[in-house]
Amino acid sequence: MGSLFGKKSHKSSRQPAITEQDRAILQLKQQRDRLNQNRRRIETQLEREREVAKQLLKNGQKERALLLLRKKKMLEMQLDKSEGILENVERMTHELEFAQVQVDVVNSLRQGTDALKKMNEILKLEDIEKLMEDSREAMEYQNEVSNLLAGSLSRADEQDVEAELDELIRAEEAQHIGRLPDVPQRRERERDRIPVISPTRVKQRVLAEAD
Amino acid sequence: MSSTNISDISWYYDFPPFFTLQPNLDTRRKQLDAWCSLVLDYCRLKKIFTFDVNDAKKFPLFFNTKINRQLDNNFIQVLLEELRSRGNIEWQDKNKRHCLVLWKSIEEWAKTVHHWITSRGMNGTVCTFYELLYSDDTLSAEFHKIDENLFRRILMELERRGQATVFSDNGAEGVKFL
Repeated sequence: MGSLFGKKSHKSSRQPAITEQDRAILQLKQQRDRLNQNRRRIETQLEREREVAKQLLKNGQKERALLLLRKKKMLEMQLDKSEGILENVERMTHELEFAQVQVDVVNSLRQGTDALKKMNEILKLEDIEKLMEDSREAMEYQNEVSNLLAGSLSRADEQDVEAELDELIRAEEAQHIGRLPDVPQRRERERDRIPVISPTRVKQRVLAEAD
Repeated sequence: MSSTNISDISWYYDFPPFFTLQPNLDTRRKQLDAWCSLVLDYCRLKKIFTFDVNDAKKFPLFFNTKINRQLDNNFIQVLLEELRSRGNIEWQDKNKRHCLVLWKSIEEWAKTVHHWITSRGMNGTVCTFYELLYSDDTLSAEFHKIDENLFRRILMELERRGQATVFSDNGAEGVKFL
């Protein structure tokens, strides 16, 4: 147990701190526990007294049974009352706990707002404008550099390049034109073959194609 | 579980030499191994959390009426020392009379409690010892109605991990979980 002191020394730094609210909640919860214990005690007592009253009636001791039942009634009333108190205590506890959560939330919101403000101070509007201006200038400069570099080809070279491009386009078009007439021919050949099949089949097929 | 026979958890329990400390060291080692696991299994089954040397004569496990054998005091001492060296018991007093039986280690217990708290979103709340040990809320929890000394020891472990703070106010004892 000697090491207990060593452990306690760094207690404050790592463990949750106990606030006044925590103490208040503990007190309330202890009262709740007491009320619960009280209720349990009364409930077992009621159970026992019911048995005893039955026994007394069996033995013909009606007066004593009546007395016992009166006492029982009193206990029951007490039980009802303590239920009411218990409810109050529990509601109070919940409210305290919830209020604590709310306080925490507000504190976090405040912290967040402060942090945001500090960040905004770093991002001054004029600075941003200046930054955007600078970056636009840098971009323009970059464009100029690329233009200069692109312009390094001679006139003749440019013409060659354009001629090659034209040739490519022409070849592409020629291919398209050359292929177009093929399509209807193939269709016709297909249609020539159809009469071999029975006319009903053709009808069916035409209908299917229409779909 | 109360009707479980001890012989059901160990076949050697009805074997008379099991109750006499074996002179051969190899055999003795095996015998102590078997006794240790038997004690722990038994305590886990019966939910026993403490052991008092003064009550050793009343501890059912150390008597086998069927074969009329019982452990003598020396054997019990050897057995307890063996359990201690394995970390399965923890003495509560200097005289070594009263101990916690840890069929689940303190670390594991601490994890169990912390897991229970976390799964119920009870982090940051204050609880009384009574509420955690005896209220209907913890009926299904493994730590319901465990020994209070063991519970304190578990909370101490949770404090060490920075997951709880035990405090008292006007005689009311409580714990705040993180």
